[in-house]
Amino acid sequence: MRERRTIVDAWWYIILLIWSVTILFPMIWVFYESLKTNQEFFQSVWNLPREMQWSNYKDAWKEYGIGSAMVNTVYYVGASLVIGTFLTAINAYVLTRLEFRGRKLMWGVIMLSLFLPGINALIPQYILMRDLHLTNSLTGIVILDSFSESAFYLMMLSGFMQSLPKELEESGAIDGASIFQIFFKIIMPLSTAGIVTVAIFKCLGLYNNFLGPFIYLGSPEKYTIGVAMYQASQIMQYKADWVTLFAGLMITMIPLVLMYIFLQRRIMEGATLGAVKG
Amino acid sequence: MNELPNSVAHATAPPSSNWKQKAKFQKRLFILLATIPAFGGYILFTLYPNLLSVYYSLLNWDGIKDPVYVGMQNFKDMLQDDYVWRALWHNVLLMVTVTPLVVFISIILAYLLANKGYRFNSVFKVLFFFPNVLSLVAVSLLWSFVYDGSFGLLNAGLRLIGVDIGNYYWLGEKKAALWATIPPSVWGAVGFYFVIFLNAMSTIPKSLYEAAILEGASHRVRLFKITIPLMTPIIRVAVLFLMLGVFKGFENILILTNGGPSGSTDVIGLYMFNIAFGTGIHNYGYASAIGMMLFVILVAAKLVIDKFTTNRDSEY
Repeated sequence: MRERRTIVDAWWYIILLIWSVTILFPMIWVFYESLKTNQEFFQSVWNLPREMQWSNYKDAWKEYGIGSAMVNTVYYVGASLVIGTFLTAINAYVLTRLEFRGRKLMWGVIMLSLFLPGINALIPQYILMRDLHLTNSLTGIVILDSFSESAFYLMMLSGFMQSLPKELEESGAIDGASIFQIFFKIIMPLSTAGIVTVAIFKCLGLYNNFLGPFIYLGSPEKYTIGVAMYQASQIMQYKADWVTLFAGLMITMIPLVLMYIFLQRRIMEGATLGAVKG
Repeated sequence: MNELPNSVAHATAPPSSNWKQKAKFQKRLFILLATIPAFGGYILFTLYPNLLSVYYSLLNWDGIKDPVYVGMQNFKDMLQDDYVWRALWHNVLLMVTVTPLVVFISIILAYLLANKGYRFNSVFKVLFFFPNVLSLVAVSLLWSFVYDGSFGLLNAGLRLIGVDIGNYYWLGEKKAALWATIPPSVWGAVGFYFVIFLNAMSTIPKSLYEAAILEGASHRVRLFKITIPLMTPIIRVAVLFLMLGVFKGFENILILTNGGPSGSTDVIGLYMFNIAFGTGIHNYGYASAIGMMLFVILVAAKLVIDKFTTNRDSEY
């Protein structure tokens, strides 16, 4: 049913445009400021750079350690993502499609975590990590983040695996496949869509994780991108090299923008999926 | 299985008991291998610290010297601690401002896209959701640049419309700083709730609106008399989730102001965090006691939410 367009409609349309501008303009602003010289930067907010200072990006990459932070981030995100997603997948399979004693109990105990706000566990967790000699180590936070299971992702993937037909295992077993083969050759390939969704969310969450790396990583050469950017912004009070910091912020956002451009539909669908269930 | 003489002789023979046993053993092994790392890690890194936090809250401990058991002393101190109450008050202020703003803006945006069929609908949708994928660090730094006194976008924008307030540092002024932390939170959260509301709105049958249009109902009437009442359950959940998130969230404030200037933006999570991990003297016991208080409040709130969510399916 179509209605006539009126003047009021135009006003509403302007609201949409205004909100779009509040999202887009700060980004664009950071981008063109990041290409100025520090002198131009303080002259006027609105002027575009006279000459593109791409060297700001090089400086940010080298001087503020964004480059090494990016390498650390790739290691941290990559390792936690692979280990964590695999553990979630195999666990979801066992807990949804195999019968064994203690299964319900295990599921219940994991679901308990949905009630835990986590904020009170920060300190004991830190002491635990310190006692295990896992602080100030990228591998330490990889272990922490890939082994501390998330009930949320487990639910997401369990729901997906439950929808696969029950006959899959039976026919696999008749053909003489072991349970290992059934999981790796039948279940995993058929669950790819679900696993990829979980992996995307884990990837975003890990890349954006600030508090964990901030608490656990002490030495600058181990910083992940979020911590490196925070620390760089802290020293700006004494060292007004803002254009380089702006360039650093752009570098931080680029992977996220790229991920969003390529995976936006999956990301938006997954976000609401989680909301409906959780 | 080739070592079984049976299977060589009769390819179609039923699996022998030997084979069954082997499969059973394999299944057990598989279950152990699958559950022990993840479940063990969960017990060790999640459950155990949560239990331990109860014990820690009863200690006087700086993390280095031997802990001293002090019983309920930390909780008594907490009641006397003005900083705790100041931080909680800031939390309340943020909860009652951020939550309605996010809900209001997301509903308006969702309604416009769901019911007006403008051009570029999908472009708007993708764009509006975008801040949600940005990290808290990116969002907070971006806004701290916007707020900066000398080069900030906000002051420049105000000057453009004729309001010159000089080099006003929004995050550096006691009066303004707490309020200045609100827009970044709203900006970062709207995208998510907008998509949730948009999806909920798309499930409302078109026929309901058509009847209203025939009666000559305006958009405002339709929004307030049809859309919002039908979405009450999901809005209620959104409100509760937002309030919880604002209550326990502190990373954005840590990055924007770290509680300053002189504590005017301190929130309870940040206060706890700085006692435990800040630059001063650490007091794990006292911080854990604050953590326990947050735990009790948040779990109670979560139970309330669950009560709401179980009967949220509305009928049309």
